[in-house]
Amino acid sequence: MVAVTVGARKITRGPGGQIDVADQGAIERLEDRLTIDGGCERIGSPSLSTVGVAASLAPLLALAACSADGTGQTGGPATANSPSSSNISAVQASRFLAQTTFGATKATIAEVQSQGFDGWLTAQFGLARETTHWDWLVANGYNATANINNDTGFDPVMWRQMIVARDQLRQRVGIALLEILAIGIGGVQVNWRQFAMAAYVDVLMDNAFGNFRTILDKITTNAAMASFVTFLDNRKANSATGSVPDENYARELMQLYTIGPSQLNMDGTPRLSAGVPIETYTQDDVTGLARVFTGLTLANSDSSKPDRYRLPLVMNASTNETGASSFLGTGTSGGGFGAIKVALDTIFAHANMPPFISKQLIQRLVTSNPSPAYVARVASAFADNGSGVRGDMKAVIRAILLDSEARADASLATMSAGKLREPVMRLTGWARAFRATFIGNTALGDTSSNSTRLAQSMGRSPTVFNFFRPGYAPPNTAIASGGLVAPEFQITSELSVVAYINFMQGLISNGTSDLKADYADMLALANDSTALLDDINLVLAAGQLSSATLAAIKAAIDSISASATNGSTNRVYTAILLTMASPDYLILK
Amino acid sequence: MSNDQSRRAFLKRSAALGLAGTAAPFVTQLAAIGEAAAATADDYRALVCVFLYGGNDYANTLPPYDQASYNQYYAARPNIALARSALDATLLNPTNSLGGRQYALAPTMAPLLPIFNAGKMAVLLNVGTLVQPTTKAQYTARSVKLPPKLFSHNDQQSYWQASSPEGATSGWGGRLGDLFQSGNGSATLTCVNATGNAVYLTGKTAIQYSVSTNGPIALLNNSTSLYGSTTAMSTLRNLMGGSNANIFANEHARVSKRALDTYAQVTAALGGAPAANFPLFPTGNGLADQLKVVARLISISQTLGAKRQVFFVSLGGFDMHDFLVRDHPTQTALLANAMRAFYDTTVQLGVSDKVTTFTASDFGRTLQSNDDGSDHGWGSMHFVMGGAVAGQKIYGTPPAIGNNTPDDVGQGRLLPTTSVDQYAATLATWFGVGASDMATVLPNIGNYNPSGRNIGFV
Repeated sequence: MVAVTVGARKITRGPGGQIDVADQGAIERLEDRLTIDGGCERIGSPSLSTVGVAASLAPLLALAACSADGTGQTGGPATANSPSSSNISAVQASRFLAQTTFGATKATIAEVQSQGFDGWLTAQFGLARETTHWDWLVANGYNATANINNDTGFDPVMWRQMIVARDQLRQRVGIALLEILAIGIGGVQVNWRQFAMAAYVDVLMDNAFGNFRTILDKITTNAAMASFVTFLDNRKANSATGSVPDENYARELMQLYTIGPSQLNMDGTPRLSAGVPIETYTQDDVTGLARVFTGLTLANSDSSKPDRYRLPLVMNASTNETGASSFLGTGTSGGGFGAIKVALDTIFAHANMPPFISKQLIQRLVTSNPSPAYVARVASAFADNGSGVRGDMKAVIRAILLDSEARADASLATMSAGKLREPVMRLTGWARAFRATFIGNTALGDTSSNSTRLAQSMGRSPTVFNFFRPGYAPPNTAIASGGLVAPEFQITSELSVVAYINFMQGLISNGTSDLKADYADMLALANDSTALLDDINLVLAAGQLSSATLAAIKAAIDSISASATNGSTNRVYTAILLTMASPDYLILK
Repeated sequence: MSNDQSRRAFLKRSAALGLAGTAAPFVTQLAAIGEAAAATADDYRALVCVFLYGGNDYANTLPPYDQASYNQYYAARPNIALARSALDATLLNPTNSLGGRQYALAPTMAPLLPIFNAGKMAVLLNVGTLVQPTTKAQYTARSVKLPPKLFSHNDQQSYWQASSPEGATSGWGGRLGDLFQSGNGSATLTCVNATGNAVYLTGKTAIQYSVSTNGPIALLNNSTSLYGSTTAMSTLRNLMGGSNANIFANEHARVSKRALDTYAQVTAALGGAPAANFPLFPTGNGLADQLKVVARLISISQTLGAKRQVFFVSLGGFDMHDFLVRDHPTQTALLANAMRAFYDTTVQLGVSDKVTTFTASDFGRTLQSNDDGSDHGWGSMHFVMGGAVAGQKIYGTPPAIGNNTPDDVGQGRLLPTTSVDQYAATLATWFGVGASDMATVLPNIGNYNPSGRNIGFV
């Protein structure tokens, strides 16, 4: 860490390359980031840092984090303080990025090698969001009244942020949370649903590095969630009509979003009583909890613009149940946000929370079948981040990604290691690897179709169950009889495997009307099939293609003459598609 | 391997038909043969499971009609009840007596009324997941085994399909396939899914085969070259379907290989039953699209050498916690229109007595409303349709209506009086499963009195 004081101004350069400028209590952070195309840029407004800075300090403030030698410095103060270049191989970095981003790139591989795994996480934790989904929709004119009753804009903003946003770790964790705390735009029954859903995704993104208890608060008062899981304007019981509160959120909150239906040990294994799972809640608990989630309503009655959908729900006293409610061995009365707080506090304190959420986060980021010991280590970090705080997402994320089961090369060889790459992430991986640029707003759209697209589309889960279940094992397979799970196989069928190839084949060669890849680097290697494949293997497949697969793809590439018409481009397309079709690539170890 | 069996059997049949080396397009020949021969084998049987995802609201699907019952129904859910006058046109007149109890179909299910009246559709009352017969006292005391995770969508969907909650490794449709696939020329096409993955159709050896509403999907339009290279195309196919040391990669390859290997056979066969020949199915109806491809496959089942097939189709959107008055008519209309078109098509094909269609759902819902919808329940009403059905009857015990009845386990959720096992065993018996094999299909069937294992509706 380098620190220099100039008058009242203190400038420090941290191990992640970030520059903090402190001036009379105000602190400004500058980041030097490698851009997706291998360039370098500074993020953060320079107002404090560059005004009146002595020329001798200019080197300190140079764009040094992106320097070619990876030391983070170009001249200036002693290199003893520069971020240490790590012993991380390019393949190891690529694998890390497959777990932490929507696809590795040459530039981010170099970043990870320069900063180290922990350093890269730290740098990512420090990145502010460049834009919220909401603001992007507004900035791109999607709040035109023509869009009041459609979902136009939603898919563009989701694709764009996953593929282009620099805060890749936040995006990845936010999407992992979206797959656990699952809702989908198709079931959001308010107007301006692209905005309502964007606001929900923003809650997850904004709090991805915060605390899970905060996330529970914010999803409970989120309009899209309330619409999808049917508690918007949920009414207290009416003895005249016999109606009772809607139980949907009470049930799904417990079953899917927090504690699950069966008691768990900290290592994620089920607790059994005489060989039978022990339920965490009963129907009575659901009925009792449903009384608490009544009265929540939209912040105002202005439906002419989307704004109210990102305001937290407010309490309508006339529909809120203020009588006593009992659930999960406790009780509350008086209703209102006080009762909701008791409910969420009780759920958050439940012993199931750490393992239930931790295991699913591991499944989204690293592997489908973490060892119980790995789950326990992460769950412990959830339960207590080391400073007595429960639910610290940064601690959980570090525990997941720095664990030896995620990092050590030895884990590549265990039988149960790996996960079937989510189809959406195969596409984003291609787009990022080959610097796909959005010319307009993406025509990728909804990719849910299993006969013509990917069988998955982020933010379009048809139910609260996401596109696939964490405990899914494809029946009548070696995976199932081996006691393993493979969630992503739930959307894998004779249709989807063919649809995926059909869709990618066109994307690779033609892009869409407004999304094109840049194959300049690949074309430069087109004559040398080995070099071409090595590059693609590294960036797309984290070096995991077997020698047999490499040999087969190489022969296919070489069957195309580079001097034939479109020969070079066809060699590049062939290399990419065959890689993306190979099971070695499809399973990320 | 079942895939090799199917290819060998197929080639053997093709050779026997003397097609090898002929100049005429294969599909034309097949079509001509199809027209000449019976569409299906004489002893062909098909079961079609129509799964209603989300938990179908029984009370508005089969509302009570006799005045006393209707009044109780209305009193229990005045916000969402159907008007009695709207039920006059769909009142059911079964040939069996319910002791004064009467039911109507939901008004939007009117297309099914003629089938009921023709004796080809039966109604099943209060069917749901059970481990064994269960009384209310036993339920309240938890003194008998109950299906785990009642009221949970995914677990009850699994229990309906597999007799065990989420994580089940086989479904009873697939277990039917286990018993009969060896009698099929193409074992691969014993269990056919025209909707999304479901455990229902996987057995201990039988594997679900997924087909789209347009049939199988062609890989890159059947092109023989990829980016200009035939080597690249054959490499693509080999990579997709080649076995792999990694257990997950190998499973992905198995699915891909099945897709690639069966494409030609199924597409050729379906060529003999073009979609244009099936005009009764309405458009804009996803369930109808699925049932159309099922009908097409049934019509060419003999070409594929199939004698016993189990099909799975589905319709979602039934989890109506809210907007039930608006949405339930829409979904039940889709259901009824699709089922009617399918039945009429089987009649046209001359196979209606060989095809039995039955509904299923996660669960029923509460009788009480939550103001504008209903919540997760248990027992529900279901329908069985087909030429072999002993129809125009309402089977089962009419449940009492309201709170705190012997049939109510809270808010008008019904304690089932007929279990899914009994429902399924009746269908399985028709399908050809003998009593001694029934437990391999339905592991809990032994918990039911032998006299109760065949309800007799088909």
